[in-house]
Amino acid sequence: MTAVVLAAVVGSLFALGTFLLLRRDLIRVVWGLAIIGQAANVYLLAMGEIAPASFEAVPILAGHGEEASHAQTADPLVQALVLTAIVISFGMTAFALVLSYRVYEEHDTLDLSELGDQD
Amino acid sequence: MSPDLTVVIIAVALPFVAAGLTPLLFRLFGERTGYVGAAVAFACFGLLASQYGSDGTVALSWIPSLEIALRFTVDAWALLFALLASGIGVLVFAYSPVYMHGESGLARYYAALLAFMGSIIGVALAADLIALFLFWELTSVCSFVLIGFHTADRSSQYAARMAMFVTVGGGLFLLVGLLLLALVAGNVLDGSAFDLAAILAEPEAVQAGLRERNLFVPTLALIAVGAGAKSAQIPLHFWLPNAMAAPTPVSAFLHSATMVKVGVYLIGRLRPLLTSTEWLFLFATVGLATMTVCAALAVASRDIKELLAYSTASHLGLMVAGFGFTSVVGAEAGVFHLFNHALFKAALFLVAGIVAHEAGTRRLDELGGLRRDLPVTAAVTAIAGLSMAGIPPFSGFYSKELLFEATVEAAYGLGTLGWIYPAVATIGSVFTVLYSLRFLALFFGRRPDGLGRVHRPPILLLAPPALLAALTAVVSVYPDLAVRAIVQSAVDVTVTDPHSMHVGLPRAYSPAVEMSAIAIGLGAVSYFSFGRIHGGIRSIPVAVPPIGANWWYDVAVDGLTETGSRLASTVHNGLLRTYATWTLATTCVLTISGFVATRAVVGATVGIEASPEIGLVLLVAVVAGVAVVLSPSHVAGILTLSILGFMIAIFYILASAPDLALTQLVVETLILLVFLLILEEIPEYYEVGLGKVARDAVLSIGIGVTAFLTVIVTTSARSEGTSDVARYYTERAVPEGGGTNIVNVVLVDFRSFDTLGELVVVAIAAISVITLLVMRSGGDAE
Repeated sequence: MTAVVLAAVVGSLFALGTFLLLRRDLIRVVWGLAIIGQAANVYLLAMGEIAPASFEAVPILAGHGEEASHAQTADPLVQALVLTAIVISFGMTAFALVLSYRVYEEHDTLDLSELGDQD
Repeated sequence: MSPDLTVVIIAVALPFVAAGLTPLLFRLFGERTGYVGAAVAFACFGLLASQYGSDGTVALSWIPSLEIALRFTVDAWALLFALLASGIGVLVFAYSPVYMHGESGLARYYAALLAFMGSIIGVALAADLIALFLFWELTSVCSFVLIGFHTADRSSQYAARMAMFVTVGGGLFLLVGLLLLALVAGNVLDGSAFDLAAILAEPEAVQAGLRERNLFVPTLALIAVGAGAKSAQIPLHFWLPNAMAAPTPVSAFLHSATMVKVGVYLIGRLRPLLTSTEWLFLFATVGLATMTVCAALAVASRDIKELLAYSTASHLGLMVAGFGFTSVVGAEAGVFHLFNHALFKAALFLVAGIVAHEAGTRRLDELGGLRRDLPVTAAVTAIAGLSMAGIPPFSGFYSKELLFEATVEAAYGLGTLGWIYPAVATIGSVFTVLYSLRFLALFFGRRPDGLGRVHRPPILLLAPPALLAALTAVVSVYPDLAVRAIVQSAVDVTVTDPHSMHVGLPRAYSPAVEMSAIAIGLGAVSYFSFGRIHGGIRSIPVAVPPIGANWWYDVAVDGLTETGSRLASTVHNGLLRTYATWTLATTCVLTISGFVATRAVVGATVGIEASPEIGLVLLVAVVAGVAVVLSPSHVAGILTLSILGFMIAIFYILASAPDLALTQLVVETLILLVFLLILEEIPEYYEVGLGKVARDAVLSIGIGVTAFLTVIVTTSARSEGTSDVARYYTERAVPEGGGTNIVNVVLVDFRSFDTLGELVVVAIAAISVITLLVMRSGGDAE
């Protein structure tokens, strides 16, 4: 079964992110990357079938040891993947921002067309 | 007798080890490293000779999971080739120190020459398709280094690149051919896909398997391209004369005696497997065409090495044609001529080296009548040259007679049109006689007045060709000796129905004798008008450039270079948006054409799979995204971007992923803070040029549609219910991980190394951030 709503959301976020990625303002490029990252996370999560929000669906087992229930929960694997992805994209965004800041300091501009012509 | 694994491995590995140690050896011995190389070659020769008479396969496990092994077959055909390579190697190494005296880069020279010898021995013995291919390509790489030895010389660079391009390109064809063979063999013989020895043990079954799957002709053609490129067969022959830019000992070793014969060797090796009518038409035609055209080109040469190079290609054509004929006598011609040619052609190249070294020129019209200056060299040349011409009773005559017999036999079998084969072979031989006489004229003709004093060559330059000529003389007088020693048993490997071969001077009339008589007679008569023939052939490519293969090569390579640089300046112009456009547009096109080609979108069951709450939250997120795009200032953009992030966090909560939501909230807060901190330092408002909004919008929508389709296609392809991996983690989280929060257990227990990697990434980002900020003062100081 397809996830049309999620697909539409992922598609529009990708489109918006791409549009930002093509701007001349370096800061906007960073935003574009951030948005595309968010969209990719939503996509990853969608691959594990979104479970309706409920106490049982949370991938935390009720009991411990022998009594642990193996009830149907939301897919823990995609959640682990997305968790990693969030942290990595945080690192990337922070780095890209500081890099943009340094670029501005060095060249006094954030316009990529000007930066591209400088070498 | 079965071969000894240790001895075989040492014989293959020794040259490579010595090549690795060459820089060290060169430091110890200087220019005398060549003699160490000769000792190594001699050791290999001895080791291989100790396996004389053995027949069998030994294997050293290499990649057992793919059933690839360093498998070596020792039989007479392999030994013949490996012994020629190491034996001539000894002479070339002994010849090199004097010839290459005073050159720089000798360590590289000897290392490449040693590695080259090892690869040739490897090709000769390899009985595993993958190992065979690796050794095969190693010979190309070593040859590239050696042809380009004079790194500063443009013609050397050109020739090296061309040889690499042609032989490695051909090697790729060979690889595909071998993989097809392995694919079929793996099915037919179950389990021994890459084992050449096993494949050759069942030639009929494998050939039948290839035909059943309609892969016989493709496999044959691919292998033929690989072998033909290596063995300089038309139309890929043009690299060989150019390869003469290499130092002469290299030419003698690689481009006459060994590397170029690798293709012929492989054809001989696979002959029992692939022999058929297609095989005959392909190789006999290509071989005889090469033999004739290259002989004619040799007549048109102006440089002694060029003459010998075209002559080599022509003789390779003879061998290929010999193996192409399906009769036993054809294989006899191929094997015996490979043996004879290696001896006389290496001798002639070394003679060419002596002439160039002592007379200071290689131009044919500046040389002549050297017999008084270089008497011993003249004698060597006489024996080797007459053998090359195929004059009885010299060794080349016997093997050429065998080829003539094979052509006649094939002609009887094929009918009227088949008589083209003997006719072409005879014409080729006329040219062979012609250029051989021209080469002999270096020593016996008139001495040009312009030629200055010619020194006597030192004994170390003279001994190797003299030894080769002596061997040629022995084979000429007692051809049966060579046949009994190794040629007969080598022939047996390359045929399906062995019978004993006879060589010797003809005692009765036969068509082959007549062909030889015509060739020698016509060749001798037309020598008197050599100048006119020489000029006539030379004028053809001048008048019609596209007739030369070299012209096509230049057009192709120049065209590619130009297109490449034009493409680079278009795609790689220093602007981020250009890179992004090309990359994204390519991704878009490839993905969508993939979906269209596989009709993936059709048949997806449409579903909503999102509760109204999720839909609402995500709608807000998208609206926030639109606001980010439209935001006039940085502050507005950052704040709306945060709204988007927090909405995604709420989506995580609604999707039963509390850990994600927590992380997302923390990260969003941090990002917001970092943005705001940076914002203080950069302009709050930045001029954004409107530029090519329309084009960007089109691309963005394209990417959006691609992402949308990808999600649709992939989500519809999900299997129902929880995946096996997810169930695995759910069930083991408590017993093996000791935790009830499955996501946490996965991250810190089951996949803890991945998490470690993630932490490393974050740490690197943190260090880079600190570095960038601290560097600020350093940057100002500069």
